[in-house]
Formats: sequence, structure tokens, C-alpha cells
Amino acid sequence: MDFADLIAETLHSLASNKVRSGLTILGIVVGIASVIAMISIGQGSQATIEQSIQAAGSNLLTVMPSAGSQTGPGARSFGMNVESLTRDDAAALEGLELVSGVAPSAQGQGQLVAGTTNANAQILGVTSEYALVKNLSLTSGTFISDRDDTANAQVVVLGATLAGDLFGEGVDPVGRHVRSGNMLLTVIGVLAEKGTSGFTNVDSAAIIPLSTCSRYVTGNEYVSSIALTVADEAQMTAVENSAESLLLERHGISDATYADFRIQNMADMLETVSAVTGTFTALLAGIAGISLLVGGIGIMNMMLTTVTERTREIGLRKAIGADASAISAQFLMESVTLTLLGGALGIVAGWAIGVLAANVIGTAAIVTLDSILLATGVCSVIGVIFGYYPARRAAALSPIEALRYQ
Amino acid sequence: MTEQVIEAIELVKVYDGAGAETRALQGVSLTVTAGEFTSIMGPSGSGKSTLMNILGCLDTPTSGTYMLAGRDVAALDDDELAEVRRTTVGFVFQAFNLLSRSTVMRNVLMPMLYTRVPRDQRADRAGIALRAVGLDEKLWTHRSNELSGGQMQRVAIARALVNDPSLILADEPTGNLDTATGDAVMDLFSQLNAEGRTIVLITHEPDIASKTSRVVRIQDGKIVEDAPTAQAWVRRYANSTDRAATESLSMSGGES
Ligand SMILES: Nc1ncnc2c1ncn2[C@@H]1O[C@H](COP(=O)(O)OP(=O)(O)OP(=O)(O)O)[C@@H](O)[C@H]1O
Ligand SMILES: [Mg+2]
Repeated sequence: MDFADLIAETLHSLASNKVRSGLTILGIVVGIASVIAMISIGQGSQATIEQSIQAAGSNLLTVMPSAGSQTGPGARSFGMNVESLTRDDAAALEGLELVSGVAPSAQGQGQLVAGTTNANAQILGVTSEYALVKNLSLTSGTFISDRDDTANAQVVVLGATLAGDLFGEGVDPVGRHVRSGNMLLTVIGVLAEKGTSGFTNVDSAAIIPLSTCSRYVTGNEYVSSIALTVADEAQMTAVENSAESLLLERHGISDATYADFRIQNMADMLETVSAVTGTFTALLAGIAGISLLVGGIGIMNMMLTTVTERTREIGLRKAIGADASAISAQFLMESVTLTLLGGALGIVAGWAIGVLAANVIGTAAIVTLDSILLATGVCSVIGVIFGYYPARRAAALSPIEALRYQ
Repeated sequence: MTEQVIEAIELVKVYDGAGAETRALQGVSLTVTAGEFTSIMGPSGSGKSTLMNILGCLDTPTSGTYMLAGRDVAALDDDELAEVRRTTVGFVFQAFNLLSRSTVMRNVLMPMLYTRVPRDQRADRAGIALRAVGLDEKLWTHRSNELSGGQMQRVAIARALVNDPSLILADEPTGNLDTATGDAVMDLFSQLNAEGRTIVLITHEPDIASKTSRVVRIQDGKIVEDAPTAQAWVRRYANSTDRAATESLSMSGGES
């Protein structure tokens, strides 16, 4: 039996048992596709979440007012806005070593009216450094300048979504006016779309000078957060510590547990989230492992239930003169062909499902070589072992025993 | 020529069935020389197929020695046995044993997969074998489970002939055939025998046995008679229970 005979015999045998071949391939496809899809979804969403944190800037420290963990001088009842940080605090932080940017901001909520349309939006009061610290870029116009801030200028930079809501998509609103409360704001710029970054969604915010915000929106001089960028990411913790002691000193607090602010470190944040999404990926991998097991058992079943029928065929082939190696070669070839076909289809199907699901969820799909190798490896080994091994055993029987096999 | 193709000495075959064991062969000794045309007769269950399977190297005896063409079969390894089966022996099964999902043609081509017949000659040889057993060419592309019993039997015979074996072992090759087709198959066997092939066949029909040159009669796993056909049917005539069969035997015996 030469190789061409072997191929012809294999294809003939698979084609004349279409249901059996089809079900075996299906088992392999399900096993492989589920593993690849699951892992791709898991790793894709993990990467997407990490990216969105990194977009916010992983060299970012954010100082926010806080009630402190114990009852202390700065404590207020929970749920209320704590007022403890000021612009002066921000100015003082600028003096720290390795701090490359400081952006204090205040926020409030307000109704914005442009002609006949209006929208409820988050109003952010910021300084000129905010754009730099938060990695913001503009599609048109300019950002808030220091002069706008000192002059309490009634100007606004609109987030991309908010600009669309108020003035319609594709319209450049620079130079137009927006009314909010007692303010008549001139639009001086529109932000490029950014997506959710960290915790603020600048796409639907209205950004005005911090001084203007203090006067018209919050009515006080406090700020709701101070963002710091650190020049050297490796020194995040050091900077965090010196910022903490500086602020404690300025606020006259000697015990850190009574601090009226807290500092959030984006690098720590990234770690925490990675751990969470890693658990999520592990969970999906677990589900994938179970599908692999189920698929594997399916393959095993198909291969083993055909043994009776195949054993008679083996007996017959031996009776007319096939030796054990010819029979082994044929059955190995059949198993390999089935697993190859199933494997190829499984990879394509898994990939497609991963991409489709990722599109629906809104994350990236990451199909890794590891998952492909793992899934195809396991399924091929199962397919080949359970296709080949019983055939080998049957080939060792005498032809008459094999022909009589029930 | 006195070369001994088959030399079986004291063959015993015991089947371990569930519970009781069956002693299917109880010391069978048989010698067949090259070019002989032998029939084996005997009641159902007497051990004919069991003996034939051992002679075809498809099964092994519980004890006893079997020499095929001067070689002790017990000493052959698996691959050597396979070689004997594909080159020396052509075996026709009582139960046909065709691959039911494959076509007639594929079934007959199959033995040539394991021998060195060039690819372009295989279809010709299969065609010759199928024509020799008188199977209608229209049936060659049918799947073998679409055939009648007699048609399957002829495919099984064609398959046994296709590798041109020197020893043909046929287990009731005419059992499912009408008289005319059976006679045609026997004519084919006679012709193959005339060309020098050694043939052993099993039959229940005296008519068929009378066309061979030697009759071996088995009963309860033992050989009870082994004689040239002419003598054998005379003995049978003496204690016959089937007068019509005996008469037809005596007639055909008289003609030959
Ligand atoms: N695999 C087996 N296991 C157990 N017993 C068997 C087996 N094969 C055959 N036998 C028994 O051995 C005896 C001889 O069987 P065998 O098939 O040789 O008979 P036979 O002469 O060919 O009969 P028939 O004319 O009906 O074909 C029978 O009693 C049968 O029941
Ligand atoms: Mg029998």
C-alpha cells in the first residue's frame, strides 16, 4: 500500500461514513473553537481595560478630598462633598521634586443651553495645565489659557459628544455661545474624542476656567481634585509620599489616619484592575477547559463507538492480506485527517466567535498562539489516540476474532 | 508432482464459549497435494468452517501442526502470515464479508492494495475476475449491501481470485447460487484447477462435490471419510438417506 493508496483509501473511508466523520469533526471543532474564543475574549477585555487606564496616564497621581478613615478634624458625614483642597495646595505641590504637571479642577453639574437645544452636563473648572496632564487634544479652537483663568473669562471648551449634542454633528461651534446659569459662555474649543479615561468622561463635559467655575458654579474656592503628573514613573510612590506629607503639614494634621484627602496612584490602580481582569480571564479559561474536556469526550466517544464496525473491517483487511502496519497507517491517517480538518475549522470558528463576541461587548479580541496550540494540541492528541489505539489493538487480533467481534 | 501444499496433523480446536467449551475439531489430519481439487462435506456444525479458517491462516489451532507449502504456520510471525494470506491463499468466506458501504469494484480492488499490482492494471484484473464469476457489469458500481445473496457470493469469489492465488479455499461458494450459476462457478473452479491451482471447497451439495476429485467427510470434528469422488459416492450410495441426491450423484458420476 503506497502513499497515494493510503490517501485514496482514507478519503473514501471518511466519505462513505459521512455522519460518523461529521460528528467526529464537530466534536473537535467545538472543543477547539470554544477554547480559542473564550481565551480571546478574556485576554481582549483585559487588554482593553488596561489600555483605558493607561490612556488616563499611568504616571498620574490624583489627590482628592476625603473624610479620613477615622473621626477627626476633617471628618464630615459620608456622602457629602468634603471641602479640603484649595488652589494653594495645588500651587504648593508644584514645588515638589519630580512633579512635572499639576492640574487642580473643580466640578459641578449644570444645564447648558445653545439656542433651542439644551443638555445637562458635567462642568469642569480647570487651569491651562489640565489639557497636558490629562492628555487632551482639540479638534478645533484653543484650550483654556492662564489669562482666561485670571480674568474669570466666560469661555468654554466642549467635549466631543457634548458639542455634537448641542450644535449637531459635524458643526464647528467655536465662536458660538452657550448659556448656563448666570454665565454666557463663548465656545473657544472642542476636544477630540477620548473615551472613558479613569473616572471622568471628558467627552460629555463642559470645561471652563477654574476661577469662573468657583465664582458661578461651585460658589467657593475649593477644588475637587488635583492631578499630578510624575516625571519618572518609577518614582510614583516616592512622589506620592512627599505629596502626602506636604499636604498633611499644610492642613496641620499630624496623624495620617485623620487626613482630609487621599491620593490615588494610577499605577496601583492598573495593578488592581489587572488582577481583577486576570481572574476574569482565568474564569473564562476554566470554562474553556471544560468545553475542551467535553469536546474531547465527544471525540473519544465517536472514535470508540465505531470500533465494533471498524474491527470487522480490520479483520477483513487482515484476512485478505493486509499486515498490521498497513492497517495502522490507514487508521492513523484517518484520525489525523479528521483532527486536521476539525482543527482547521475549529481555529477559524473560534477566531470568528472571538471577534464577533468582542464586537458585541465592545472590546478587542486577542487570539493568542498559545490558545491555538493548546486547543489543537489537546484535541489532536485525543483524536489520534482514540482513533489509532483501538485500531492498533484490533489489528493485533487474528482475522477471525476480529471478524467475529461484537 | 507430489509437493504437499497442505499438511495438517492432529488439529484440535476448542472454543471457550460462555460456560461450555466446544470441541470443534478433535484431531483432524489432512494432506493436500498441489493441484488437487478437494471438497469437504459434513453436517452443519461439524467443524468444516473451523478447519477451513485454520487452513487459510485466519485462525490458529488449539493444538496440532499445520504446514502450509512446507512451512510450519505456527512459526510465522504476524507479517509473514499476512504475506501468506495476500500472495498464496484466496479465501471465500461463508458469510462473504464484503465492505458493505463500498462498491463491488472497490471490494474486488481491495486485495490489490496490499500487493504490488501496478495501479493501472488493477481495474483490468478486477474486471476479469468479476466477468469470470459472471457478475453483470451494471452491478459493478453498486454498493455491495445493495446486492442479492448470490451476487454478494460472486463478488466474494472474484475478490478471492483477483490476486491470482495458488491455493483457493472456498467455504460454501455455491451455497446461495441457483443450479445454473453454481455450475458456472464450478466450471470456473475446474478451469482454475486445470491451470494448476489447488482448490479446497466446502459444500453440502453432492452435485457440487461430484465435480471435485476428492471428498473429505467430517462429522463431530473428525474426518470420517477421505476418498476419491468416485469411491466416495459409491459408499454414500450404500447408506444414503436422500435417494434423489444420490441418483443425481450417480448420474453425474457416471458421466465423468
Ligand atoms: N467462535 C466460536 N466460538 C464458540 N464456538 C464456535 C465458534 N465458531 C464455531 N463454533 C462452534 O464450533 C462448531 C463448528 O462450527 P463450524 O462453523 O466449523 O461448523 P460448520 O461445519 O462450518 O457448519 P455449517 O455447515 O453450518 O457452516 C459448532 O458447534 C459451532 O457452534
Ligand atoms: Mg461453515
